[in-house]
Amino acid sequence: MKTVRFVAYYGGLCICSALLLFPMVYALLMSFMDKADIFAGRLWPERWEWTNYQAAFKQAPLGSYLLNSLFVASVITIGRLIVSSLAAFAFVFLRFPGRDAWFYICIATMLVPWEATVIPNFLTVQQLGWTNHYFGLTIPFWAMAFGIFLLRQQFRQIPYELYEAARLSGIGNFRFFCHIALPLSKTGLVTLAVYSFLDAWNMYLWPLLVTSDDRVRTVQIGLKQLQTQEMANSWGVVMAAAVVAMLPTLVLLFVGQKQLRKGLMQGAIQ
Amino acid sequence: MNDRVSSPMPSAWPVPTQPTVRRTAMKAWMEGMVYLLPSLLLFGVFLFYPLARTLYLSMFSTNYQGAPIRFVGWAHFAALFQDESFWHSVKTTFFFAALTVPTTVAIAFCLALLVHEKRKGIGIFRTLFASTMGMSVAVASIIWMFMYNPAIGIMNRLLSALGFPAVSWLLDPDTALYAVAIATIWMNIGFTFLLLLAGLQNIDPSLYESARIAGLSYWRQLWTVSVPLLSPTLFFVTTVSLIQALQTFGQIDFLTKGGPVDATNVFVYAIYREAFVNYQFGFASAQAIVLFVIIAAITFLQFRFAERKVHYQ
Amino acid sequence: MKNVLLGLLLAFVSIIAGCSSVDSKGETANRKTEVVFWHSMSGDLQPVLEEIVNDFNQTHSDIEVKPVFQGTYEEALTKWNAVAGTKEAPTIMQTFEVGTKHMIDSRQIVPVQTWIDKDQYDVSQWEKNIVRYYTVNGRIYSMPFNSSTPVLIYNKDAFRKAGLDPEKPPLTYSELKEAAKKLTKKSGKETKQYGFSMLNYGWFFEEMIAVQGGLYVNHDNGRSADATEAVFHGQEGRRVFELIRDMYRDGTFYNAGQNWDDMRAAFQAGKIAMYLDSSAGLKSLIDNSPFSVGVSYLPVPDGIERQGVVIGGASLWMMKGSSEKEQKAAWEFMKYVTSPSVQAKWHVRTGYFAINPAAYDEPLVKEEWKKYPQLKVAVDQLHETKPTAATQGALITVFPESRQHVVKAMEQLYEGVDPQEALDQAAKETNRVLQKTN
Repeated sequence: MKTVRFVAYYGGLCICSALLLFPMVYALLMSFMDKADIFAGRLWPERWEWTNYQAAFKQAPLGSYLLNSLFVASVITIGRLIVSSLAAFAFVFLRFPGRDAWFYICIATMLVPWEATVIPNFLTVQQLGWTNHYFGLTIPFWAMAFGIFLLRQQFRQIPYELYEAARLSGIGNFRFFCHIALPLSKTGLVTLAVYSFLDAWNMYLWPLLVTSDDRVRTVQIGLKQLQTQEMANSWGVVMAAAVVAMLPTLVLLFVGQKQLRKGLMQGAIQ
Repeated sequence: MNDRVSSPMPSAWPVPTQPTVRRTAMKAWMEGMVYLLPSLLLFGVFLFYPLARTLYLSMFSTNYQGAPIRFVGWAHFAALFQDESFWHSVKTTFFFAALTVPTTVAIAFCLALLVHEKRKGIGIFRTLFASTMGMSVAVASIIWMFMYNPAIGIMNRLLSALGFPAVSWLLDPDTALYAVAIATIWMNIGFTFLLLLAGLQNIDPSLYESARIAGLSYWRQLWTVSVPLLSPTLFFVTTVSLIQALQTFGQIDFLTKGGPVDATNVFVYAIYREAFVNYQFGFASAQAIVLFVIIAAITFLQFRFAERKVHYQ
Repeated sequence: MKNVLLGLLLAFVSIIAGCSSVDSKGETANRKTEVVFWHSMSGDLQPVLEEIVNDFNQTHSDIEVKPVFQGTYEEALTKWNAVAGTKEAPTIMQTFEVGTKHMIDSRQIVPVQTWIDKDQYDVSQWEKNIVRYYTVNGRIYSMPFNSSTPVLIYNKDAFRKAGLDPEKPPLTYSELKEAAKKLTKKSGKETKQYGFSMLNYGWFFEEMIAVQGGLYVNHDNGRSADATEAVFHGQEGRRVFELIRDMYRDGTFYNAGQNWDDMRAAFQAGKIAMYLDSSAGLKSLIDNSPFSVGVSYLPVPDGIERQGVVIGGASLWMMKGSSEKEQKAAWEFMKYVTSPSVQAKWHVRTGYFAINPAAYDEPLVKEEWKKYPQLKVAVDQLHETKPTAATQGALITVFPESRQHVVKAMEQLYEGVDPQEALDQAAKETNRVLQKTN
């Protein structure tokens, strides 16, 4: 009975993982196929080919694009963590007139369809002279309602009595924020960091708009560079680039999984 | 603790003399604003200014550069409400949200429950389940487009191997929205799963202990301990997912371009096309404003009614 | 405390600032004239384009052309709209053919004709049937660059198996229907091979009308005056829609959707035996198909004289905001690109037409045509085109939007909507946007 349950449990987990992972594995396999294999609709490459990767790196400077993506995503993540946690702290622990109104205003920004803001934002960035510059790629994304919301939910799990006690023993707001609130909120911070990084990594339209120099461009643009409409696409090459674009984020998830899990556990307030 | 937000501010304070109140209030306000300043500044420049600009443009007809040329007042809105395709895209968007949000949350919740308890090798499965969050919309769409290809895609080969008739997936107006929804659910599972798992992990284990001692079954524990204590996370996840679903764009652009016969022409895609392909910035702005109002109303209702049921520890 | 915060932010900002700031206009230290060239040539096209630009830069020591990929034609145009007239605008901009009127109306461009006149350049060496599209009111506005037309592509092996002569592809609608019937193979309820397919894309519909001599909009396709009304729902358009309806009803027509690669995949997998595709992709299609591929002209309705095809693709525009010196450099580049040897290379490597027909006499092309005789068919179809308003192509600003309505009408056909009704609806919508902008 015990073994049956054991097998059923892990079997179920394996089936779920297989279903979820299938599209990624499919892309990985396709990136090693030649055109004949792809058009025959094969699932397994007849002969493993590296040529797609060579072609992808030759056609677009994927290496430097990757570094740029890494840098841009990191800066956005750090910026977001700082800006969002400050605001969330104020919304949960500080009392001042108009606080709730400001909170709803911040939340309301989540409702603005991003597509509607693209053109005015582009003009703003252009006037600031931030085009072709990491400023234009990162700063507009530092403030994020989602992040404030997420950290607010997190901070609210900290007993308010703790804050009051700290205040009574003379600990200032900023010290409480740095030394008590933040360490107790690792869950939220880690979650937000991971989310922000991936979100930033996957931006496409904005980086394309604000850059016209390969030196600051990101990997999603490279992916787009490899696709056409009027001519037949080399799907193997496109898939190779797709794998290159998703690999760093997947590796980050896999390597960081222990850290991530620890962060998630430590955040628990007993 | 919940009334911390909704109770009127001053009542929590002692009642000192007038000038002191003013000074204390001023000081508190100043301090609060310092923490909010970076957010407010950035929001102001990159969200509220464009929003105001959008509202302004929605009352003008524009030229191809997007500059206003003629004031038309509410004409765009009037035209919009009489436009059948507008109502169609509203309906499509809501239907799409109804298809994706509950399904994603339900699947992610089940997955989180499966790997919630500590067992041998569970970490690997947790990582695997969260892995779809590493996929960009662009990459995921390219892969799904291939899987849906009616001639060589894996989905139809699978169906025919199982003896089912072939499906046109993205090409049939009856199935296209479902096909996009499946791809979307897949993309969103990872992150939703991670949030819910984190929420579950944050629940005090001693609560389960007492529940077990009280003789509650697994399912009773689920309903009396897990779900109520997970409610802040659930509330957060559904709110954010719903907003995201109502703003779906990337998958549509890659997979169907709003077709066939407008079957997948969701709201934001319609706006995008109106503005960036047809260069009708005024009309597109009017649509964006309407979308903003709709989402704002829904979110307001969610906060007003759903958050009351949320249980903060 | 405020200071701590500010300091943090400042430190953070200066970190990024220090990391890199890239100047968009690399300073012209060595006195080279810089020509920024925005393009949408992705995939296999990009390396070819960059090679041509490199060759040019190496042979012209005083000019530096900088190609910059700006996304799809639509994305590039969106960005251009926002920066046109500022110093961020490029000197050369590549735009798709349906953006022609948009560019002219923007008043931000210099017609290429200005430089043709200044330089007293002989344009008679350019392919007339291509240049005609970009000629408005007697002036050439932009330099044709990547140009293509649609052709009928068919599976010769499938023809043989169905008892059809692979050297005699269908030329009329009735021949097409007949051949498609023979080519359609069923096993049980499932269709293994369909006879014919056409992408749900406005371009193919426009071409199928033009080949009959039909117009898309009034006022000679918007060439003699601004178009005010769509006319594509006349008898020519109806014939095309009825053809699709009839064949779909017979089960010989395959609905390939809107995605080019889905359709090609279906052809290469043997799911469809004949379809319409752009002449630009021919070579890789021939290379990658596991059977022999035939190429032919667009079919016409029975008893209708073939008029020819409209040019598609994109052209290069010169910007008004650029200095005289930059414009001159851009013009030098354009002249270089149209030279026979460059065009020969362009044609062979990409499949797009040579703008300069002298290129077809280059040994490079002759050799290629020996290997791929199919390439010549597309060129012949273009050369045989009769110069009328129909084959000159429609000139309207709202083309992208009109195409969306045509696509919707095509998709409605598969839902059983009457062809005339679907067309009338698309025409009505097009008229609405035409009037809105006039």
